[in-house]
Amino acid sequence: MKLILSDRPLKFKPENDSFLFIDLSALNIANCVGCFGCWTKTPGKCVIRDDAVKVYPAIAKSDTLLYISRIKYGGYDTVMKKMLERAIPVQQAFIRLVDGETHHVQRDVKPKNATIIAYGDISDEEKGLFEKLVARNALNMNFEKYNIIYSVESLLEDAVNKEVEKWKK
Amino acid sequence: MEKIMILNGSPRAVRSNSRRYAEIFSKKSKCKTEYFNILKTNHHNLCSKMAEFRDVLLVFPLYADGIPVTLLDFLKTLELNPPKSKPVVSVLINCGFLEHGQNDTAVCMIKLFCKKNGYRFGSVLKIGSGEAILDSPFKILVKGKIKKLASSICNSRYRALHTTMPIPAKVFVKAAEKYWVNYGAKNGVTKEEMRTMKIEE
Repeated sequence: MKLILSDRPLKFKPENDSFLFIDLSALNIANCVGCFGCWTKTPGKCVIRDDAVKVYPAIAKSDTLLYISRIKYGGYDTVMKKMLERAIPVQQAFIRLVDGETHHVQRDVKPKNATIIAYGDISDEEKGLFEKLVARNALNMNFEKYNIIYSVESLLEDAVNKEVEKWKK
Repeated sequence: MEKIMILNGSPRAVRSNSRRYAEIFSKKSKCKTEYFNILKTNHHNLCSKMAEFRDVLLVFPLYADGIPVTLLDFLKTLELNPPKSKPVVSVLINCGFLEHGQNDTAVCMIKLFCKKNGYRFGSVLKIGSGEAILDSPFKILVKGKIKKLASSICNSRYRALHTTMPIPAKVFVKAAEKYWVNYGAKNGVTKEEMRTMKIEE
């Protein structure tokens, strides 16, 4: 499955059912409260039953993923970050070693070819930090491959269209 | 005597390990401390209160490889509502992984905030295995490092510190399994149930 997860509405519409587009800004998603319920009470399910419970299964099932997010302090801004924090039911509490480093065991999460379109007024220093962050995410979110594209806000639609066109080829 | 403002940026502030770390810090600090949870409703109060302090200590857990949204949203408010005098910002961060270095990206985010907004960055203590270390024999290591952190901030001799459980990664994996199985058992959930591969099914 191909998934586009955006932190804002876009004019772009999928032409068919070959991929799913989710505008996170249109959903009701609360902050993760760090209760560990999704690991130790209702494993694989968040105890907060809002719109996030529709999103993280889609993240898990996707093998091709496009995240579209504003960048703040070298990381994802609130809308995307909130969803990523709420996606921990896709992992187990248990720990595994990846290249000798400790990480959580993944549940049924497909390995991903991920693209992140990072937009906003992003300095070179912020870009460097964001690249370190996504390298960490790759280990914790099962990215087999990833690519980061930077865009100013005014050209974001073009950047998204260009990326989705590549999926059609 | 200078005062240190402690801000807990954990989403589960009241029941958080960050609160426990903050309590140890307050006990070890020779400077007076005042503790606040960051809540959705108190951002503006905290921003104006901050002017009363020479130092601020942000205490928070690593969330999805970065700073938790609770803290991110507060920093965004602080950016728009800076205090009259800007304190030195220090960090006490913990992650559940063994490697304290997994906290690095989050620390860099705070440094970037400081640079962009004209705050001096002070000390940092990065804690690995932070979910369980306070309930292990290695608690003494954390207390020692927090004492050094408190001293560095109080004396304005800022420094970078870190600690974790001094055990091999494979042993940590086993210890973490025991910790989480016990955690699940308190909720009547078995190890096999916790190991389910299913998501929302």
